[in-house]
Amino acid sequence: MRKAGLILLILICIFLSYFTFITAQKAFRSDWKLPAASTQKKDSFRIVLITQELDTPFWDKVGKGAEQQAQRNGASLEVWGSYGKNQDDFLKKLEIAIQSKVDGIIVQGLDTDRFKELTKVKAAFYGIPIITVGNDVPKAESLRKTYVGSNQHLAGMMIAKLMLSDMGQEGQVILLSDNQKEYYQEERLAGIKEVLQNFPNVKTVYTETPEAREQVIANTRDLLNQYPDADGFIAVNANIAGAMIQEIGRRGQVEPYFIYSFDDGSESLALLNQKKLDGVIEQSPEMMGSKSVDVMMQWLKNQTVPLDADGYLSEIRMIKAMDER
Amino acid sequence: MNRIQKKIWMLASVVLIIMAVIWIALTYYNQITQNQYNEVLQRYLSMNEVTNTSQQVVTNLNNYLLEPSENHLDNLNKSKDKLNVAKGDIAKLRNSENEFALMNYMNLIDSLIETTDRSLMFYAESDAETSNKEFAEATRLSKYISEMTLTLIDTELKTYDVFYRGIIDQSAEFKKLGIWLMLLITLLLLVITYWFSLSITRPVQQLTRAANELSAGKFDKEIKVESNDEISFLAQTFNRMRININNLFQEIQQKAQLEHELQQSKLLLQESQLKNLQSQINPHFLFNTLNTLSKKAYLEGSEETSDLLVSVAGLLRYNLKWLDKSVTLQDEVMVIQQYMNIQKARFTDRLTLHLEMDQSCLDVQIPGLTLQPIIENAVIYAVEPREEGGQIWLRIIDDENMVRIEVEDDGPGIPENIRLQILDGELIETNSASTGIGFTNVVKRLRLFYSMENVMDIESGIGIGTKVVIRIPKTRGIEQHAQTLDR
Repeated sequence: MRKAGLILLILICIFLSYFTFITAQKAFRSDWKLPAASTQKKDSFRIVLITQELDTPFWDKVGKGAEQQAQRNGASLEVWGSYGKNQDDFLKKLEIAIQSKVDGIIVQGLDTDRFKELTKVKAAFYGIPIITVGNDVPKAESLRKTYVGSNQHLAGMMIAKLMLSDMGQEGQVILLSDNQKEYYQEERLAGIKEVLQNFPNVKTVYTETPEAREQVIANTRDLLNQYPDADGFIAVNANIAGAMIQEIGRRGQVEPYFIYSFDDGSESLALLNQKKLDGVIEQSPEMMGSKSVDVMMQWLKNQTVPLDADGYLSEIRMIKAMDER
Repeated sequence: MNRIQKKIWMLASVVLIIMAVIWIALTYYNQITQNQYNEVLQRYLSMNEVTNTSQQVVTNLNNYLLEPSENHLDNLNKSKDKLNVAKGDIAKLRNSENEFALMNYMNLIDSLIETTDRSLMFYAESDAETSNKEFAEATRLSKYISEMTLTLIDTELKTYDVFYRGIIDQSAEFKKLGIWLMLLITLLLLVITYWFSLSITRPVQQLTRAANELSAGKFDKEIKVESNDEISFLAQTFNRMRININNLFQEIQQKAQLEHELQQSKLLLQESQLKNLQSQINPHFLFNTLNTLSKKAYLEGSEETSDLLVSVAGLLRYNLKWLDKSVTLQDEVMVIQQYMNIQKARFTDRLTLHLEMDQSCLDVQIPGLTLQPIIENAVIYAVEPREEGGQIWLRIIDDENMVRIEVEDDGPGIPENIRLQILDGELIETNSASTGIGFTNVVKRLRLFYSMENVMDIESGIGIGTKVVIRIPKTRGIEQHAQTLDR
């Protein structure tokens, strides 16, 4: 009896000690991973990539390429931007970047006065080099160091040729652009028109539309009413292609129309996969990203001064719907 | 000798130390956690401080631009200094996660200050338009700073999420630990206290038991207390007391017994002497007469009668002389022979005495007149009543360090109850046919003389005979006993 009591006591003791020990271990353990103390790379350059369209496949790729290149070069890079071409937000980000005195800004060009003022006055005041990527703004207007991206004029020409080869040398083509009159769209349009003017049988109808979805739809509806014989559509701004095709699809079949656009729209590749787009001009976003950072680093390190003001052009190629998959 | 006190102190200190250790550990840990909380809080506070001061800077700038007074300028400068201090605090918050953002943040602050300065400068140059433009920029910057503060705080929350959760979990674990620890300590203290109290009370209980036994008169049980404190000391003292009492007790008992024995032997002696006196009328006269009678019988030619009378006279003299002295066995045997001479004259052929003696044993000391009454008894009970007479054997045998004396007869024997009465010394003799000294008297004297209870034994069978066996030691240990008797 006494022995049993003693054993019981010892067991309780062990039991309690064990649990106390376990809890104490848990309570006194501190393996939370706090962020490491600042690496304090004084000389590491801070570069910001600012785009108007975050979270779109095209710009994601640009960001990815830029980040990889930044890592290779030992620079710290952050991707900022606005969603869905929110210009106020975009410009605010740009201003913050300038006021934050980052070492370099890689920015998707925006052909507005405010943008030009920021780049020309503010950035120049702080001595921050600016490189445009994807969309260019002429050097004279923006004082950008250089441009990295596709030759938009060439892209326009290619898309026109692509359409001609599909449609033939006769027909009515509707060119739909947004009303921002951005430099890169002008370039594309110029390219398209340059090709098409050689083919008098191809009639072109050029329309501008605000970028808001409802308005794109409304404008498309008007166009379809006005030009029921239209054979082809080119969305010069890739972002309006989705809404445009949606409206066309509501009227009837999408397939009979020859519809083309560029790959820098959020829906471009999805539409191509669905064969709603007959072809897109594919640019090289990743290369743009990495090249822009590379060029920026060259500038910052004074390796290549001055940079080629005409820009560093990246590859473009045509993709037809059947080429995919 | 303050062991119990020491024990109590020890228990108290153990409890105190345990408490202190736990208290210190908990307090220390609490402090650490508190510091962590403070640090966390400090981060947010210093970020918030930046927002506040930047807004203050803009407000003060606005005030100054609207109403350029010394006071407002002073305020503006003060808030700018504050902003710089806040910026310094922010610099400490740097880590690998927020390095980029923080750098931007700090540069934004710089830009704000620069813009403010520019605005002031242009204002001083009376370029109100540019100054206002700069002011608008400052306002915007302040807004950006506020926004960035929120973003930074957001990032902080994300970065430190695990950390915060860890703190929360830890405090929960701590609560659990407190409970477990309390249970464990409670149990340990209970056990220690039990063991400790036992170490005090158990010796007391043992002592109490011993005291009870002592008070009940059991002095021979040793008092043993397993302890090393005062109780043990008490127990030792107690034990010594017990031993002393026990010794005194035994001494008293011994003395009492001695006293008793002395009394007894005195009584017996008096009895013998009384009998002696009774029978001795005028012993010298009787002795002389017997001698005269002997001479006369001899002269008349009756030599046998003369011898008999000499024996009677010898016996008488022996009786008178040796009763209260120790004699040798030799003397006793001689007296017995004289006695037997007399009895032979009486019983002639009816009485046969067989003597078997180991001569080496005859020097043994023995109280006077011890064998003779036994032989006499044998004659009276075994020979006298029977017409055909009887035989008596007297054997003196060497029995290692004892001498064995056997007196055997072939008489009718003694009934068992009487035999026992004789051995217990309770038989009251009524027969007065003897020379005077009874059997019981002999038994008692022998026992007193040798201080042995089993000196004499009687074997008897009805119709077969009786055998009295006396075993006496060769060397008498208790000489003083004889001296006592001599007194």
